[in-house]
Amino acid sequence: MSTRDQHGRGRLRLPAPRPRTARLAAALALAAGLTAPLAPAAGEARAADDDGKRVLTVAVAQSVDSLSPFLATRLVSTSIHRLTYEYLTDYDVKDARAIPGLATEWAPSADKLTWTYTIRSDAAWSDGRKVTAEDAAWTFNTMMTDPDAATANGSFVTNFEKVTAPSPTELVIRLKKPQATMTALDVPILPRHVWEKVGDYSEFNNDKDFPVVGSGPFVLTDYKPDSYVRLEANKNFWRGAPEFDELVFKYYKDGDAAVAALQKGEVSFVGNLTPAQAEALGNQENIKVNDAPGRRFLALAVNPGARARNGEEFGDGHASLRDQRVRHALFLAVDRKTLVDRVFRGHAVEGEGYIPPRFSTYYWEPSPDQELAHDPAEANRLLDEAGYRRNGDGRRVGEDGEPLTYRVLCHATDPNDKAVGQYLKEWWGELGIGMDLECLDNVSDPWLAGEYDLAFDGWSVNPDPDFVLSIHTCAALPATPRDTGATDNFICDKKYDDLYARQLAEYDPAKRADLVKQAVSRLYDLGYMNVMAYPNAVEAYRTDQIASITTMPEQAGNIYGQDGYWSWWSAEPAASAGSSGGTGSTGVVIGIVAGVVVLAGVGGFLAMRRRATAEDRE
Amino acid sequence: MTADTATAPAGGADGAATAAPSPRGPRARTWAAYLRYGAGKLGGAAVSLLAVLVTGFFLFRLIPGDPVKTMTGGRPVSAEQLAAYRREFGLDLPLWQQFTDYCGKALTGDLGTSYQFRAPVTEKIGEALPNTLLLTGTAFVLYTALGIVLGTRSAWRAGRLGDRLNTGLALTLYSVPSFWLGLLLIIVFSVGMGPVPGLFPTGGMESGGEEGLAHLLDVAHHLVLPVITLVAVEYGQTLLVTRSALLDETGSDYLTTARAKGLRDDLVRRRHAVPNAMLPTMTLIFVNLGRTVAGVILVETVFSWPGLGGLFYQALSVPDLPLVQGLFLFFASAVIVMNTLADLVYPLLDPRVGR
Amino acid sequence: MTDTTGAAPPSVRALVRQRRRRAASRFWRQYRAHRAGLVGLAGLALFALVALTAPLTVGSDVAGVTDAPGRPLEGPTAEFPLGTDRFGRDLLGLLVWGSRVSLLVGLLAAALSVVIGALVGITAGHFKGAYATVIMRVTDWFLVMPALVLAVALAAVMPRSLGTVILAIGVTSWPTTARLVRAQTLAVESRPYIERAKALGGGHGHIMTRHVLPNVMPLVLAQTTLMVSASILTEATLAFLGVGDPTVVSWGGMLQDAREAGAVSAGDWWYLVPPGIAIAGVALAFTLCGRAVESVLNPRLGVAR
Repeated sequence: MSTRDQHGRGRLRLPAPRPRTARLAAALALAAGLTAPLAPAAGEARAADDDGKRVLTVAVAQSVDSLSPFLATRLVSTSIHRLTYEYLTDYDVKDARAIPGLATEWAPSADKLTWTYTIRSDAAWSDGRKVTAEDAAWTFNTMMTDPDAATANGSFVTNFEKVTAPSPTELVIRLKKPQATMTALDVPILPRHVWEKVGDYSEFNNDKDFPVVGSGPFVLTDYKPDSYVRLEANKNFWRGAPEFDELVFKYYKDGDAAVAALQKGEVSFVGNLTPAQAEALGNQENIKVNDAPGRRFLALAVNPGARARNGEEFGDGHASLRDQRVRHALFLAVDRKTLVDRVFRGHAVEGEGYIPPRFSTYYWEPSPDQELAHDPAEANRLLDEAGYRRNGDGRRVGEDGEPLTYRVLCHATDPNDKAVGQYLKEWWGELGIGMDLECLDNVSDPWLAGEYDLAFDGWSVNPDPDFVLSIHTCAALPATPRDTGATDNFICDKKYDDLYARQLAEYDPAKRADLVKQAVSRLYDLGYMNVMAYPNAVEAYRTDQIASITTMPEQAGNIYGQDGYWSWWSAEPAASAGSSGGTGSTGVVIGIVAGVVVLAGVGGFLAMRRRATAEDRE
Repeated sequence: MTADTATAPAGGADGAATAAPSPRGPRARTWAAYLRYGAGKLGGAAVSLLAVLVTGFFLFRLIPGDPVKTMTGGRPVSAEQLAAYRREFGLDLPLWQQFTDYCGKALTGDLGTSYQFRAPVTEKIGEALPNTLLLTGTAFVLYTALGIVLGTRSAWRAGRLGDRLNTGLALTLYSVPSFWLGLLLIIVFSVGMGPVPGLFPTGGMESGGEEGLAHLLDVAHHLVLPVITLVAVEYGQTLLVTRSALLDETGSDYLTTARAKGLRDDLVRRRHAVPNAMLPTMTLIFVNLGRTVAGVILVETVFSWPGLGGLFYQALSVPDLPLVQGLFLFFASAVIVMNTLADLVYPLLDPRVGR
Repeated sequence: MTDTTGAAPPSVRALVRQRRRRAASRFWRQYRAHRAGLVGLAGLALFALVALTAPLTVGSDVAGVTDAPGRPLEGPTAEFPLGTDRFGRDLLGLLVWGSRVSLLVGLLAAALSVVIGALVGITAGHFKGAYATVIMRVTDWFLVMPALVLAVALAAVMPRSLGTVILAIGVTSWPTTARLVRAQTLAVESRPYIERAKALGGGHGHIMTRHVLPNVMPLVLAQTTLMVSASILTEATLAFLGVGDPTVVSWGGMLQDAREAGAVSAGDWWYLVPPGIAIAGVALAFTLCGRAVESVLNPRLGVAR
């Protein structure tokens, strides 16, 4: 549905089963007024503090929703869990293939229904105990039996039949039916000996007892709501200790404030920059702007007429949009080049297929005769052909004589939605079609109810595209209008479903990629999901504080919100960092000065009063 | 913040008086009368609190949005699960029953559990409240002091250049949108501009990691810009009210008498005029105290201050009903309590009330 | 003032008109003595002129994004004296064009607020008893509501449009006016001639519209002027909090745009500074006028001297 992507932060995780949450999370974060750069607003990376500890501070714009992996869905929280709890498998920093995490190897049985994982014996919890298969089995079983524990990651275990740990190093998962994504289980494995003492998972936020027992490269040591989350390096991390001694996620409600902090050197990492910020930062010394191909897309989703699996229709999508010619006409009027040029100022790639070019394995481009290139004349022709002729005022009218006017759902918290919306309004105006831009803080309601005509939509695509493809299948529709389905915008197409099912069952990578491309091609032709742009991930960091940091993918990738802990785990302090000191001592000095000034002011006021009294006595 | 109180400076003494204690203030002659008056005021406050409790509950239920669907964040959820959530949060009950439950709990200090944070509302408010109080409290003390001092001087030199500059500046700053001023201060004093170095942090309340004195200084350092912003846009009101109240007194007979007795101007000012002129100012001070807490949303947003304002805004967009209601109740109660205090203190200070 | 009982029928109107004219010129004479009031008035005239002539000077094309004349976020040049916005539109043009919305919202919201306030105040002052008790309780209740919080909540309930913003401001800002007007009404009604009018059979409607209203009108006028200033600030605040209509150009909306585009940290001061100055300028002009009007009506306040 929506901006998830922009919210990319939301959806950065792999089998991302929580689209709207991501959206919502982002919306919430934005709602706080931050509108500008969202998630990783900025990082205040004081490279060293007074006692010589090397501290990397990453500022974020989202509030933490919960520090319990069973509950957390916002990107900032799940990013922290990535750093503090190891998963069964990780993604290779170069090509995102599955590599060992807690599991050193894994294999499906011949019938593909039983997966056996070998758990490493050199991993330990931060309290010294060993990580065992028993911990993993307990984590999955708890999620399977306790609905509260399944709040965040329940979708990973819906197809699990049984999870056992025959030995401390062996984990066995029995499936109900084959599932190709078993090496992409993004579930933080929790320490059973700590968590089984918790009574009610629905209200346990894991933010009272510090340090929190974990197994990742960092240990959670402190948290203050809407202020900071503090992590310490786990010196005994099995893959090797991180270079920085401490990692702090600091909360900045306002993106500009965060960028200002970076310019000042008070912060060493800022994510999600606007074009203006990127340009301003690009000219500055000691700052490197990382402008990487994005993993998300910004699309115009069409409401095809909301319906449920039981056949009931609901919502009030405009009937004219069920005509493919009308959908194509609307998209033909969109000049994607202008959008990339003006709205994104070059920090994006023109949209085409559903999967961004960054994922070369699955990337698909329309053939020249298939492509819906910018062509207003053709758009006018299609509309004429579809029977929507212009009336005396130049407005196109339907058979009922009503002028065509579409409601376009946009995220009030997303500047790009609003900007693109203004272009669409004018372009469609030239076609004779009216448009109401309905910007809401929280689009979930009209979205789920199918009460919109078109909507701004965006998802962060994972290395494995299964999830983003699955949300357009008929199976994802809600069972009844009263349920919430996994569907994005109620698309249900038999041909697409067929291609989707075949790719899911296909174990040969090349053949699977081909099937995925066919599915994307079908989606393009349908005209229900019109991708306008693939926005870049625009981030910046201070080179005088961070000497090097790993992006993902390693060649031209992003830093914040990776599918793994690579960036912060690998970050190396700059040589000068030890002395630059950030806000540490200067801050104290200025604090003292400020305090003195305030005191002097109050003192002066009192002195005046006293003098006055003295005069009175004369 | 600037907006909702904007009429007072111009309204002068009148504006201030209307804002809080009713003009038919007490002419209590005795303690008994005062107590009767006080009891009446307290009763009125209780009624107001009750009204706030009721409206808080119903008003926010008008916000479109199904909290359960929003909470489940678009994850596929069956109708049964949604129903289970509704049961958990008591949203399946008839509205009147939800209402009575809510009122009953609220009276015992339980404001429910936040949907999005899964934590008691009182706990969330408790976390953010000290931060908001620190910011508004500091700003409040400073702008009140500044307003009274400058207002007194201005009144004494009424009509002269100093007075004109003083009131002119106050009016101008009063007309400036606080968020805009905050952004400019960040550009100039945080980022640094031209010869001005970046002196202050760009946002937040603390760098984290400091202990003891260093921590206090660090917080003070973060406090400077937001406090300056609040003081700049708020002190004008106090100044203007103090000034016009003083001017009002200057014309009074007893002052002329005092002067005729040969008392020095300064003495007349301090011993006679100022105490009387403080009445409307006192009223304004109490009203401000209540309102500043609620009005701090903008400044908290601009300076990423982890206070109640940001919390309210987050809660509103879900809508996280228990949290929204709790905060609303809290904001309104702050005003009611302060207004009532003003009502109670007013007669004690009024020298015309012979006790 | 409007006491007509003693006059001969044909000359009543002329007499009243003459009296009003005299009152007006006396008012103007006194107003002229307030220098700050004159400055405010001049400022208002300037802003009104800019807003009214906007369709001629810049035209609605200035708000179009597809044919924006410049590159996004250009600094001030000869062609664009205040630079361009994130779409490449001329910021000076937008500033001029936006004055219409900001003034319109300010005026309408203030008018709405004052009308509600005056209505409540006059009726509460006129009909004492239970009605007044209840309605003043309601007023008190609105008075303690944190107005900004309430306005944001209201705006969240209703669709995003200018009407919503006007309503949200108007509905939350009237109680101060109501209390002022009520106090004034009580004062007016205690005067002897009201007794006389009642004795002569004047109904409630007659007393309120013919006697009370004209007497509270000056107060209402002053209050409106001050209210406009507050409303313009609130409008900017709501737009800044993202509660406005994004496709409408207003000063508050421009500030919000600037912030969303990252102009603050990019140092694009020309995007940020002018709308803020414009808002402060209009608000200040209205405040100065309002204070001058007030001090003419109530010289004891001595405000603007």
